[in-house]
Amino acid sequence: MPSSIDALVERLARNMAQRISRRSFIGGVGALLFGAAGMPLLPVARGESTTPARPDAATDPGDPQACEYWRHCAIDGFLCGCCGGSGQSCPPGTEHSAVTWVGTCHNPGDGRDYIISYNDCCGKSACGRCLCSRHEDDKPLYVPFRSNDYNWCPGSKVGIAYHCTVARIVGVAK
Amino acid sequence: MQPLAQPVVLTPTVQANYMLNCMGCHLADGSGAAGKVPSVRDSMVILSQSVAGRRYLVQVPGASQSPLSDLELAQVLSWMVRNLSAQAVPPDFTDFTAAEVASYRSYPLVDVRDTRARLLQAAARSADAGD
Repeated sequence: MPSSIDALVERLARNMAQRISRRSFIGGVGALLFGAAGMPLLPVARGESTTPARPDAATDPGDPQACEYWRHCAIDGFLCGCCGGSGQSCPPGTEHSAVTWVGTCHNPGDGRDYIISYNDCCGKSACGRCLCSRHEDDKPLYVPFRSNDYNWCPGSKVGIAYHCTVARIVGVAK
Repeated sequence: MQPLAQPVVLTPTVQANYMLNCMGCHLADGSGAAGKVPSVRDSMVILSQSVAGRRYLVQVPGASQSPLSDLELAQVLSWMVRNLSAQAVPPDFTDFTAAEVASYRSYPLVDVRDTRARLLQAAARSADAGD
């Protein structure tokens, strides 16, 4: 198999050497490189473009980055959306604590109560941005599985360093 | 953005009660966290086969001290046996009842880990003897 590839490449190279001068070949490569430099390969302007209206704004109202957003009704910590992650995914370099506390939040958009899992993202020091502390139906520390005052990172594999918190929908209560 | 479920499917009440009162530690599939939260996947069927095991499942602090009523707790425990167990649920499994939960629940379980280990060892021994 390698010998057939060798033969093919050799034939193509000899063919090209016979048809194309070295100077025109180098000129072509140069034009290609120069042309490529003029094209915006990365979407560098994306960050400045205006945010399109969310398609489901009627049933899922509010700004997901804001503390007042309905899914944050009982969150206590830094919003991961401000820390390099999103409302339901941890920032790079952190790992979510599977063990956590679970509550419900009322969605004013469709009138339903959603079951929300508040997972801490762990393994880096505190994010420090977008602190959000809301306490709808959370319980005191002596009801540990219904309290948002705990650092749940001891339940992660990366230790107790707490970075931020996500709010994931896991069910619909009613 | 995590989209809302479309169409919205209501979570059954018994599963919602598991989610709100148990899942935070035991996780969605009951596997828990090694060394911190015991898995229920390999123990619920075994423990639910004996009176002492059923008493343990009701008295374990996460169950007995949950805000669930006796009936709700009975339903959640039965649901866990049927839905989170790695083993097949035996055909003679009987669901927990509110009365059964009430009869055990008011007695605190002092030594949780030892009780659990003892019950599972006893079950393993009797299984060996029966083979």
